[in-house]
Amino acid sequence: MWKTVKSVLAAFFGVQREAQRREDFTSGKPISFILVGILMGIILVLILIVVAMTAAG
Amino acid sequence: MRKRHVWMTAGMLLAALSSHTLAAEWNMPIGVTDVSREIYSLHMTIFWICVVIGVVVFGAMFYSLFRYRRSKGAEAAHFHEHTMVEVIWTAVPLLILVGMAIPATATLKKMYDASEADLDVMITGQQWRWHYSYLGEDVEFTSNLGTPREQITGDGERSEHYLLEVDEPLVLPVGKKVRLLLTSDDVIHSWWVPDLAVKQDAVPSFVNENWVRINEPGIYRGQCAELCGKDHAFMPVVVEAVEPEAFEAWLAERKAAAEAEASGVDREWALDELMERGEQVYGSICASCHQPDGSGLPPSFPALAGNQALMDDSALHIDTVVNGVAGTAMPAFSTTLNPVELAAVITYERNAWGNDTGEAIQPADIAEMMAE
Repeated sequence: MWKTVKSVLAAFFGVQREAQRREDFTSGKPISFILVGILMGIILVLILIVVAMTAAG
Repeated sequence: MRKRHVWMTAGMLLAALSSHTLAAEWNMPIGVTDVSREIYSLHMTIFWICVVIGVVVFGAMFYSLFRYRRSKGAEAAHFHEHTMVEVIWTAVPLLILVGMAIPATATLKKMYDASEADLDVMITGQQWRWHYSYLGEDVEFTSNLGTPREQITGDGERSEHYLLEVDEPLVLPVGKKVRLLLTSDDVIHSWWVPDLAVKQDAVPSFVNENWVRINEPGIYRGQCAELCGKDHAFMPVVVEAVEPEAFEAWLAERKAAAEAEASGVDREWALDELMERGEQVYGSICASCHQPDGSGLPPSFPALAGNQALMDDSALHIDTVVNGVAGTAMPAFSTTLNPVELAAVITYERNAWGNDTGEAIQPADIAEMMAE
């Protein structure tokens, strides 16, 4: 689970180590990446909303 | 010798670039409001950030090309991916962008805060002029292009502010927060005055907000910045910023003039009087489409000279001018012109260029019709 989160974070950032990429594609299941990706996408949006609301005071 | 020549030219070019006059001519204006100054300093900050990035990136590239050229025996390194380098070139632009976004957002917040204004002005775009209404003050007028037609057709020498002059400028007090409420009667226009750092779309059936607090008295010029049809280039904006006392005096004068105009509605007007006033109105409002000689530009803009359908039916003529014709380029002029102006221009059209109907359309009749 933590590995999946790390891989999704790397995908958000746009940089991933080749070794990790190989491992994800051999041992990981697509559905777990999709679900974690959607969840973290929502979290990112929520963080941005909070930041914007704090900035707007 | 030749080398020295190159260096001298480069030096002169640099001196010219750094001189203030050239900068003022090519750069965006610093403007006369606090917001415009902030925008200018943001613009310059971001410009210099871009210059530094450009010098570093291209410098590294040109240095590498030259230092490690093949003729000196340089060998290409063969490797695939380098996580650390990739992280750096992703993180650095991210930090630069966030660093630019923080001050830019602070300025944007100020620009959007149109609350607690001292004065509200409604600005309505119309093809092809601006209508200004001082809300709560009963003062409104239309601001038309002031450049004479012969300059546009090339028959006269162009004036200093060619196509950037109007018959009646928007007068605003300095030091006061003025809220601008923008909308349009027909198509999308955009009210743009660079010195005030305002460029706001005027969209039909929407009201957009903006505001200015002008620091220095003066005349500031701008243009419509949204392509809005045939005379898009002929609807400039002129703002005259004056001291608050002068503004109050101007406002009082405008109110008195509006009252005098209103009382003119009730009296009987003579044909000559209407013709004289109508010629003025026709020149600033109608002539750009229907032409100064009434010949029009068929098929979009029909001829008025010798237009039998209109001359036989004054009610149709009045209705066309007051309410416009749906589905054509003819707008309703009931919001642009007052009853006196409407009566005068209709009378003028019915008696000029050989349309000798001899009819004088009375302002009172137009006012009555519009009230219904």
